[in-house]
Parts: sequence; structure tokens; C-alpha cells
Amino acid sequence: MTATLPAPAAAPAPARWSLDDIFDQPASLRPLAVLRIAVGPAVLVHLAPFLADTLRGVTYDERFSEPWWGFVPEVPGAVQVLLVWTGAVAAVALGLGWRTRLVAPITWLCVAGNLFLSQHHFRHNRAFLLFLLGAVALADSGRVLSLDARRRRARTGAAPTDPGDDLGTVWPLWLLRVLAASVYLSSGFSKLIDPDWSGGLVLWDRAVRYQGEVHDRLPGFLADPVVDVITARWVHAVTSPIAVAIELFIAFGIWFPRTRLAAVWVAGFFHVSIELAASVEVFSLAAIAALVIWATPATRDRVVVLDDGRWVRRLDWLARFDVREVPGAELAVTDRDGTVRTGDAARWLLRSRLPLLFPFVAPAHLVRAARRRPAAASA
Amino acid sequence: MGLVAAPGVAVGSERIVRPRWRARLVRGFAALVLVGHGALLVRGYADPHKLFAFQPFNESSTWRAEVVRVTADGRRVPIEEPWPGGYDWDELVGWGVLERPTVLRHAYSGLDASLDFLDEAIDWVADHTPGDAETLYLEAVTEGYRNTRGPEVRVLRSDVREEAG
Repeated sequence: MTATLPAPAAAPAPARWSLDDIFDQPASLRPLAVLRIAVGPAVLVHLAPFLADTLRGVTYDERFSEPWWGFVPEVPGAVQVLLVWTGAVAAVALGLGWRTRLVAPITWLCVAGNLFLSQHHFRHNRAFLLFLLGAVALADSGRVLSLDARRRRARTGAAPTDPGDDLGTVWPLWLLRVLAASVYLSSGFSKLIDPDWSGGLVLWDRAVRYQGEVHDRLPGFLADPVVDVITARWVHAVTSPIAVAIELFIAFGIWFPRTRLAAVWVAGFFHVSIELAASVEVFSLAAIAALVIWATPATRDRVVVLDDGRWVRRLDWLARFDVREVPGAELAVTDRDGTVRTGDAARWLLRSRLPLLFPFVAPAHLVRAARRRPAAASA
Repeated sequence: MGLVAAPGVAVGSERIVRPRWRARLVRGFAALVLVGHGALLVRGYADPHKLFAFQPFNESSTWRAEVVRVTADGRRVPIEEPWPGGYDWDELVGWGVLERPTVLRHAYSGLDASLDFLDEAIDWVADHTPGDAETLYLEAVTEGYRNTRGPEVRVLRSDVREEAG
């Protein structure tokens, strides 16, 4: 079976890596294209309250506002109306990938412009959204998975699977990786050095203060026991250092191939937990979508042979696999280094690289591996 | 179908070809962003608002404030009482973080950030209530509990208003 499997299409990695490679080595823009698709709706969600205000005739200048810089003259409220509505339209076009090179910077400018109208518009999640928009605007993120790409292919006769179709400069991806990792690092480090935080006081006090809301949200039989647990001081003395460790693990672990998948999964879990426990506007959506930037920016550098490849093609948004259908074939995956995997190993490799399946298959894989270990030990 | 490369991607060379000035510009821009970002992260430890410093959920502090209008004749009138010109504090600030200041609430973005916003808000209100001809300045006596410890009491005053007769 091994002999009949095709080798990956990608060229072997260069022997020596230099900083210039970040700027000069073309790579797949798909991670940023997927991010672009998610960021468009995130901008709409972010702008929704401002749009609603403008529909009611309310602009920022009619209420308390605090200029970022004293020397800047007050901007009329009409400018905010222009910014948020232009930004909303541009965000729709951005999500669709229509005139991406034009609408991506416009979206960034509108979101940034609205943020910088008043200091009280600042939120960490909005700053993070600006990072994402900046990277999407700086790269040619409309090159694939976009109306622009469709139009270009109609013009040139190219096919989506053509080699090089999604290649471009990816230094904005690397820049975004540094910024995104530093967000986890900054958040984790500031909590680590604060004894009130790492000792559990901050989370405990919040839990005590909001216990009524938690109680009201839960079904009757659960409410009292859950509130008892979350208001126990010792619980937060244990969980707060864990929360700090999680952020630091994501910040560092996400850089290394051995720990990256675990860090991405932990980050997803972390953001879902935050979304359930706190009001963070678009942060969860943006941060989970941003995890896609950690996929290796290479296209079809693994080969999958299987009987029916339609579902793989549909779920393989990042085009990680060169899908080859062979009637009656057992699933086999040839990895980047030429290693051929079959059976469970092939299923894990395939499913773990499909963004929609990854959150579910990763824990299932861990559980299976843990079950096998004692069985192997006793054999 | 041949190799279809993005603009600037030199087919075959596997490198992106840019004029030297543009290559430098790109590298300079990336370096500038990283240095600026690093500076803002460090600055966050001295900035009450922690702007672009990514230190969310940093405190569990609380505060409340008695905000009064101090009139030209020396009276101290709570903002909850009728206001010349028909103004209303909550409508003027229009932001939940600062509305109903007498009620003890979570300190948004930390105690120092909340009180800094309150300080700016009383200035803003003093400047944006032209129909009030009796208030000389606004004053807020704040009571803050930093991560359950306190109270820390501060007195904040707006600029003196010229409209006060």
C-alpha cells in the first residue's frame, strides 16, 4: 500500500531559515482568507450598537466623551455616522471578498476611526479586532475564498486547485501571530505578578458579587450547589493560577509544533469559557477565528487517498490536503515528511486538520489514547 | 494549467521580488508596529486605562460617588435633584459605567480608570450644560474599594464654570 501512495506535492522545506523568509517567501494566504470571512461579521456585531444609536439620532458627541489627544479638535457626530455605516457596508464586502484590497483598509479605517473618537470607546476586544483587520488588509486576503478570486479565475481560466493560486506575501500573518500571542502573554503575565489575581481574590470577589445572577440563570436544583462552589474562596485559590497558566501556555505553546495543537484547543476552550462567564463583546468570536492563523501557511502538502473525498473537500477550508479519490480505497494520508498513515492514525491526522472537526476530535483522540495506554501496559 | 502566482511572486524563484525601497519599508513598518506594541504593553503598567496593554479583568474593585453641583452661593446640590435647564446626569453621560454614581458598582477597567473617567465626565458635564446659570463647579466625593480593600476616598472637582451668575 505504501508504494502506491503518491508523495505530497509540496517541495521540501528549505534547509536554513532566515528572517527574510518571513517577508520574501510566498506562502498560502488561506489562513488570512478564512480569518477575513470571520472578521467581516465580527465587525458588524461590533458596530451594531453604534449603528442602532445613529438610527435613533444619537452620536458620540451628544454624550460624555473623552478625546484621546487634547490637541485634536472635536469631530462632528456626522463623521461617526459616516464611519459606522461605511464600516458596516465595507465589512459585508470584506466577508464576501468583494474588492478586498479596497474594502479591507476602509473597514480598518472606519473601525479605528470610531474607536479613536473617544477614549471610552476603547475595549481590549476592539483593539484585538483592529489587529485582525490590519493583517487582513495588509495581506492579499481576498486572493482565495472570495468573490475576487472567482472573478479572477473567470478572467484567467485558472482553477482553485492550481498550484500557486493562493500564494502571496505572508509577513502580515507573522506579524499578527506575534501580536496575538503577545495578547495572551500580556494578559497572563499581568495576572501572574498580581497577588490578588493569582491568589484568587479577584475572581472570588467577582463570583461573590455576581452570585445572584448566576443563581437566577441556573435551573432550581443546580443553582444552590453551583453558587456554593463558585463562591468558595478555596476554589478560586486553585482555579486562578490555572487560568493564568492557561494564558501563558497558549502564549508560548502555540509557537512550537509539538504543543501547537494542544495550545489551539486550549485557547478555543478558554474563549468559550470566557464567553459563558463574562461579557466580552466580539472577543470570543474574533479570538477563536484568529486561531486559524496558526495553521501552517502551506497548501495541499499532505495527500489523502480515500474512496469518497467530497466531505474532505468541503471541510478543508485551509486546503491542507491533496484529495485523491480511489474507488474502494482505504483511508491513507501521506504526511509532509512522506510518512504514510493508515487506520486510526490517518483518521486523526485528517480530522485534526479540518477546522470544524478539530475541537471535537482532539479530546476524543486524547481519551482514546489514554484508554489504550493502560491496555497496552497490561498486555 | 501553469503556475498562477500572486502579484509580486516570482514564479520559479520562490521568492517575492520587491524594489529595495519597498522591501525596507515593509520591514521598517513591521518593526515599528512591534516596537510600538511592546511600548504600549509596558506602558500599561503605569496607565490607569491600560490602553492597548491587554490586561483585561485586572481588578475586582468597586466604587460609588456622591456628585453635587456647588452653586455660586455655596449650596451643594446632589445631581439627583432638579437641575436648572432640565439636565439629567444619566442622560448627559449616557454610559452605564458612570450612570447612577451613588450606587456601589464594579469598577470598569479598574478603580483608577473608572475614577479617571468620572473626573473627565464632571468636566464634560460642566462644559456642556449652558442652560445652568447657577452651578459654579461639580464635585464628586468618591469611595473606592480596591479588590475588596478600602475605602479609598477621593474628591474630584470640575473646572469652574463661567456661566454661573
